[in-house]
Amino acid sequence: MPNAPGQRGAVAYLWAAVVCAATTLLTLPLLGHVDLANIVMLFLLAVALVALRLGSGPAVFAAVLGVVMFDFFFVQPRLSLTVADSQYLITFGVMLAVGLAIGQLTAGQREKAEQASAREAETQALYTLARDLAGAFAPEQTGEIIATFLAARLHVDACLWLPASDGGFVAHPPLPQGASSAQSRVAETYASGETMLFAAGESQYEPGIALPLRSAQATRGVLLAHCPDAGGVCTPDARRVLDVVASLAAIAVERLHYSEVAQQATVAVESERLRNALLAAVSHDLRTPLTVLVGLADALALRVPDGEATADATAIRDQALRLSAQVNKLLDMARLRTGNVVLRREWQPLEEVVGSTLAHFEGLPGVGRIEVGKLDGLPWLSLDAVLFERVLCNLVENALKHAPTGPIRLAAAADGDTVEITLTDTGPGIATGDEERVFGLFERGGGERGGVGLGLPISRAIVAAHGGSIVATNQPGGGACFRIRLPAGEAPSLEGMPDD
Amino acid sequence: MTEQATAASILVVEDEPEIRRFVRATLLAERWRVREAGSVESAREALVAESPALMILDLGLPDGDGIQLVAELRAWSALPVLVLSARSEEADKVAALDAGADDYLTKPFGVRELNARVRALLRRPVATEADSAVCMGDVVVDRARRTVMRGDVPLHLTPIEYRLLLAFIAHAGRVLTHRQLLREVWGPGHGTDAQYLRVYVGHLRQKLERDPTRPRHLLTETGIGYRFQL
Repeated sequence: MPNAPGQRGAVAYLWAAVVCAATTLLTLPLLGHVDLANIVMLFLLAVALVALRLGSGPAVFAAVLGVVMFDFFFVQPRLSLTVADSQYLITFGVMLAVGLAIGQLTAGQREKAEQASAREAETQALYTLARDLAGAFAPEQTGEIIATFLAARLHVDACLWLPASDGGFVAHPPLPQGASSAQSRVAETYASGETMLFAAGESQYEPGIALPLRSAQATRGVLLAHCPDAGGVCTPDARRVLDVVASLAAIAVERLHYSEVAQQATVAVESERLRNALLAAVSHDLRTPLTVLVGLADALALRVPDGEATADATAIRDQALRLSAQVNKLLDMARLRTGNVVLRREWQPLEEVVGSTLAHFEGLPGVGRIEVGKLDGLPWLSLDAVLFERVLCNLVENALKHAPTGPIRLAAAADGDTVEITLTDTGPGIATGDEERVFGLFERGGGERGGVGLGLPISRAIVAAHGGSIVATNQPGGGACFRIRLPAGEAPSLEGMPDD
Repeated sequence: MTEQATAASILVVEDEPEIRRFVRATLLAERWRVREAGSVESAREALVAESPALMILDLGLPDGDGIQLVAELRAWSALPVLVLSARSEEADKVAALDAGADDYLTKPFGVRELNARVRALLRRPVATEADSAVCMGDVVVDRARRTVMRGDVPLHLTPIEYRLLLAFIAHAGRVLTHRQLLREVWGPGHGTDAQYLRVYVGHLRQKLERDPTRPRHLLTETGIGYRFQL
């Protein structure tokens, strides 16, 4: 017997009539052998059967038709609707009432079963969708799966709109045309995070509905569904399915996002590791011969008595040391240029860093020209002392080189929430217009006297990594002035340590 | 000194033959006996077989971790260890020193630096003469009477400052990491707060140094710790 929803209606009623007619035909031979009360039971059975297979409408129809047929074919006078014995009216009444009740109950049961299996099918479909989405490894694939699913379940055209790097949105699967017409809608939904309905006629892709793909962290994109008949996507059932699909899509897109982030991090770590390994290898390969050269030249200078040979050996040693310093600067620059130097910051007084800087120049010509202003009483600074010492060394070295005479003055002062460190000399100063250029890579301030000018760019990179700034100016009275500004911050208090 | 020196042997652990050659030549010129090893493995053997008076150890050996070797050695020997290391490897130096190495030398280095470090490490530590007076410039620390004088003027040190000064004197000439000093002065459990240490070193410099900005005795080893120079 037919059962599909499409065959309900007239056909179902016809089948109900057929069932009643068949019941009549099958029971007619029993007339006379069986009590009429039992024949009533057979008609009620037919009503129950109709209700079970055809629904509540045909069941009502079968109940009424059954009463009529019973009256017409079985009750005296037969082949007439009139009733001789009026007590049969009670039989008809009870038969109709019982038939209707059985019909309604059975049909209700059947509808519930149908709903349950429909829900199960839907759950199964969504489960399959979730599984497919979990297997997707690209946004294109996710969009394709969602579009296919919604086309099959709801008969709507749907696509995912995901934010692109240029600030716009890209559709997955891509739209053949009119993509731009939906952009503003998508952007609006993405920004608001609220589901939006579009009326017909606003553009060629409407009417439709736009649902944000909301995850715990952020809105990851927009699910846009549109169909020609306006109501199609707006029934409660369709909305429910769309909401579920939107959350599944949000999870899928978020998963893709995080897997991409993780992959990028892996690549970054790997290339960082490679870079460090390369720098370490280069550093080792350059430093080893330099160590040998410095050591042997030094040993030679101490061993040979002859003045000229001693001078030569000393010169070789000094040049090797200069080369070593230059290699160090190149390696420093290479490390700093990769942009991911990790500062080992610790709170310390500037005085200590200045002290260790000056220790580097002990015994060198010109060290007596270095004057240091009052440094105690300054707030402590959070510095990577090793790197910051290089900044000060570079500046002092620079001043000793470019200002051959006159004092070189290092001073510092607190200024609000910054500390300003200045290094001034009384040399020729910086050519007008070159104040920025001296911090460029491979720029030599003043030209002919040695050095490829790595010191200042390194210094600037280190100061910048500390969140500070360094500028070069000329003093009104002549001479260069380098000015470092560093955020002072507040050193943590020193309680909790056993004191005296 | 020369007579003692001829008896003492120094183990040089370095994988670069040319550096080893120069170090050996320098040490031989000072009349030390020299043993050489090119790897951690042969260093382990030589340490047992030769019982040297000092080990000079390159941290960048191809077959293993020099820091690990120092830690192993410290389990059974107080042999002084001088570590050779490249610049920009402060973390390695600190790790080696905290593991028990006594001092370090940054490549490239000269003959005088090497000799000075070796002599400092083979000299008897000042700590053994615990009651002697120590002169640092015009300041005299009398450890028997627990006084610190500049000329006739007594300098007042707090107990912590005095303990810190004694720790420095005990390891005069050698580098001390922040962690080592914190442990020695404040005890275990205070190994990481270098900020605290800096406060007291600052106080000591204010009281003992002529120019605290250019210390002559309490030297900063940037990124590593301090070195006390008499």
